[in-house]
Amino acid sequence: MIDKEKVILMTKLAAFEKNEGKKNMNIVNYFRSDYIGFQVLKAIIAATLSYALVLSVYVFYHFEDLMADIYKMDLLATGKNLIIMYLCLAGGYVVIAYMVYTYRYYKAKRNLKDYYVGLRKLENMNGK
Amino acid sequence: MSTLLEIKQYVNNFFNKFEAYIRPVLKLILALVALITINSKLGYMQKIDNSAIVLIAALMCSFMPLNFIVVVSALFIVLHMYALSLECAMVILVLFIVLFLLYFRFAPKDTIAVVLTPICCMMGIPYILPIILGLVGGPYSAVSLACGIIVAYSLKSINASAASLGAMETEDMATRFRLVIDGILDSKVMIVLIIAFAITVFVVYIIRRLPIDYSWPIAVAAGAIVDAVIVLICDLSMDADISVAGIIFGTLLAVVAGFITQFLRFNVDYNRAEKVQFEDDEYYYYVRAIPKVTVPAQKKRVKKINSSTVNNHRVISHDDYDDDDEE
Repeated sequence: MIDKEKVILMTKLAAFEKNEGKKNMNIVNYFRSDYIGFQVLKAIIAATLSYALVLSVYVFYHFEDLMADIYKMDLLATGKNLIIMYLCLAGGYVVIAYMVYTYRYYKAKRNLKDYYVGLRKLENMNGK
Repeated sequence: MSTLLEIKQYVNNFFNKFEAYIRPVLKLILALVALITINSKLGYMQKIDNSAIVLIAALMCSFMPLNFIVVVSALFIVLHMYALSLECAMVILVLFIVLFLLYFRFAPKDTIAVVLTPICCMMGIPYILPIILGLVGGPYSAVSLACGIIVAYSLKSINASAASLGAMETEDMATRFRLVIDGILDSKVMIVLIIAFAITVFVVYIIRRLPIDYSWPIAVAAGAIVDAVIVLICDLSMDADISVAGIIFGTLLAVVAGFITQFLRFNVDYNRAEKVQFEDDEYYYYVRAIPKVTVPAQKKRVKKINSSTVNNHRVISHDDYDDDDEE
């Protein structure tokens, strides 16, 4: 006879394995510091690329003015300002990325813990 | 009401049964709508403004992950912009890359909002989006919505300045580039909608999660009012020139869409809510259980006619045969 409770549990476990489980497994395979560190590194690269793109659009937009004023400009101060802006953007973005990926890591760990509890329950059911 | 519930249940069952076939069909329809809308509103490149190419691209999208629709739509937009002018293509490409790098790495599931927002904006019904996303999404949906609005109004402003760009062919590249950027940055409607929609998403999300009766209908109504009021205030203070009739009609439509979403996602009967209290070794539990509104599935009565008749015949014929033998 079909054990309804067992079928429900198996379906839930299989659905988790198929969808969220794979992603969660990939996340938890890393150590916490490795996973978050890797994601933060990707965030720094993304922020740097975005900043470079936006800066190039800005330079192109003000190209004529910049060319006219290039000899009058204080290049050191401008460079300093650009670096400060970059650090603000990248820093803010990295903080957000750190929070998001820390949350994701712990969520994945919690989900997998629930999954293993379910598996143990299923094992006990089969043992009966 | 019970008929509607029966239809909902039937649709649910039908979807569960044929999910493998329905999903690609839905993706195909979404891709077709997105690509046809892009071609009809932009349509600068004749080579891709072709029903065969649209159909092939949509068919490809139907067998790929949902986010592939976003990639194909972005590609179509960039190609149309390239046909209009190189500066437009550059600006739109930079916009897409920055959005992808900074936001969609975090929320890949939400990228579809970026496709739906420009489509709804082009159809003139953008007001339904913050209500629906507030109901089915989270607070981060406000960022997706803002990205969608930026894309929609960038395209709109480029479209509006297409004639000027055509007339400026003799001008240098930097001047035309400035015209494109100025057009996008001067779009006050875009700023008004980003502010109003972000606040609306937060309001709808916060209210619908409150532990009060009728939280979803209250969230829809409050969201609609907040949306309309903020758009009107911003419109007056920033002189954005948004049609008041459009705001009222859009808000009413948003309320209807919100109630339809509620019916599909969160249809509960507050009159039959139960409060229970129990405890275990570690906690006291104060639980409030609200039953879902459902209709009992009708039992199918199968009346067998042919098979039973055949069996009877067989039985009779066997009996007759046996009787004959005995005789």
